[in-house]
Amino acid sequence: MFRYIAKRLLAGVITIWFIATATFFAMHAVPGDPLMNDRAVSDEVRRNLEARYGLDKPLGEQYIIFISNMLRGDFGISFTQQNRRVNDIIREHFPVSAILGILAIIIAALGGILWGALTALYRNRLPDILIMLLVILGISVPGFVFAATGQLALVHVNAIFGVKVLPVAGWGTFSHMLMPALVLGLGTMALLTRLMRTSMIDVMGEDYIRTAHAKGLSKQRIFLRHQLRNAILPVVTVLGPQISAITTGGFVVEYVFAIPGLGRYFVQAVQQLDYTVIMGTTVFYGAFLVLMVILVDILYGFIDPRVRVSA
Amino acid sequence: MTDSILSVRDLAVEFDTFGGVVKAVRNVSFDLTAGQTLAIVGESGCGKSVTVQSLMGLIPMPPGRITHGRALFKDQDLLSIGARGIRGHHMGMIFQDPMTSLNPTMRIGDQIAETLVVHKQYSRKHAQDEAVSLLARTHIPEPGRRANQYPFEFSGGMLQRAMIAQALACEPAILIADEPTTALDVTIQAQILELMQTLQQDNGMSIILITHDLAVVARMADQVAVMYAGEIVETGSVEDIFYQPAHPYNQGLQQAMTSNQQPDRVLSPIPGSPPDLFSPPKGCGYCKRCPHAMSVCAEHPPYLTAVDASSHQSRCWLHHELAPVHNNPVRRP
Repeated sequence: MFRYIAKRLLAGVITIWFIATATFFAMHAVPGDPLMNDRAVSDEVRRNLEARYGLDKPLGEQYIIFISNMLRGDFGISFTQQNRRVNDIIREHFPVSAILGILAIIIAALGGILWGALTALYRNRLPDILIMLLVILGISVPGFVFAATGQLALVHVNAIFGVKVLPVAGWGTFSHMLMPALVLGLGTMALLTRLMRTSMIDVMGEDYIRTAHAKGLSKQRIFLRHQLRNAILPVVTVLGPQISAITTGGFVVEYVFAIPGLGRYFVQAVQQLDYTVIMGTTVFYGAFLVLMVILVDILYGFIDPRVRVSA
Repeated sequence: MTDSILSVRDLAVEFDTFGGVVKAVRNVSFDLTAGQTLAIVGESGCGKSVTVQSLMGLIPMPPGRITHGRALFKDQDLLSIGARGIRGHHMGMIFQDPMTSLNPTMRIGDQIAETLVVHKQYSRKHAQDEAVSLLARTHIPEPGRRANQYPFEFSGGMLQRAMIAQALACEPAILIADEPTTALDVTIQAQILELMQTLQQDNGMSIILITHDLAVVARMADQVAVMYAGEIVETGSVEDIFYQPAHPYNQGLQQAMTSNQQPDRVLSPIPGSPPDLFSPPKGCGYCKRCPHAMSVCAEHPPYLTAVDASSHQSRCWLHHELAPVHNNPVRRP
């Protein structure tokens, strides 16, 4: 198990290095640079600024400086936001995105497993048909529609009850998180529901379920102890990539609900070619996702004994 | 019979399919004697598995349906809804493919212990210890270590031993073995059969053995029921079935089987195939393949007739007193 984790971590470090290098050169290949955003800069001022940020150096040298800074955990200072260090931006805004993303994943996973199991048990009957209809909606409707609809719904609910049941936008308390997390997790929940349903139906036809019936176990016991765990396996497999989809896809939801997450800075930086912020956020997100995928793989090993040994 | 532990009467099972209703089992009756082995033999699709699965409540409903019959075990009808407590407790079952019949994500020991926890209210610890000693009884080496392993760490033969340990956990009065050795190679087959015999002698339990392997029947069975097209066509002691086959189908089977006594005999297969159970024939199901078929066979279903003074019975018109005696292969003076 230890060797397995060590191997995965090493592969992760290489992945992150690759992400950093690819992003660095791709970014510099884009025409223009961060200084273009400042209007009417004279040549002299421009030269001074380039010298100050090291942009006049050859690209190879810039790359080496960037990598050595990165290894020391320093991503430099933002070009567009005066005197803000990239590390500070990440430190202040990432936790917001992370909490939102984790809450969304939890809602999506629990919901997906629950609805998926339910639809499998009620296969081809009314609950199944109703839920599967909603699932198709959840998969095909884009996130910003749900975000706007969710917000609108909150406005009406608050108006009907005359009290603030849940805040419509903003950030700070747990009640602020619920609606955006739900909206963010909805697409993933729909996907997981479908996956869980198929997987559950497969498991229900397995020989060992017949054995469980022959042992005279109650339906509840067979469901909880024999069907659920085996049916969850494929769901856990896609959880890693889904975490990445949710955390990077969070920008729209963060924007609609006015949440001070990292996503906004990420997109803004790309628009303004803010080199240091792009590099910092990309490498950081990359590292985070690699870590999540490793965590999911380890989790998988706990659920499926066959994976544990072969690793 | 007074020492009958299980008596099945007029069992009929149907399945709804896209092609129509399949009458898989039609009016099957048999008795299981305490401490003995009853073998139910027949070719694929003759309803032998469906018969025992209905006793264990394993018929998926829908599409399955038990339309008729009773199966009395200690005055309780196994076909009624309240019989779940008997399954796994007083009746254990093992299956054809041990590789897929155990839960892949649960330790072997836990799977065996589960039955004891549910039916005998053992504590977890007590049930675990019992599971280890059950594995030891089924000759699994290092049972303590093996109990903590998962099915994928076992070989096929060992898994079938574990299945037997699981089925016997609550010391059932009846063990149902549905083709227990079909998926195993021949040497392992012999070991598993021997294990079942020893455990039967130790526990005094009865076994219902489903198989299409007549060699296994000859080795294991006391009583035999031959099934064909959803019906029992002949039933009797193992000697009766092998040495005095009374039904033309059983005679055909014996003709198609190799024998040590006559190594040079030419084997003759039974021509044709079993009838379509979507619409079972009006008369005898074997009539189209039977070399001795008479006009009555196509019109009226035959009934089980006593062949001799013992329990030997056969479902054939040739046993009828009005059947011609000349060239009659089944009537003995």
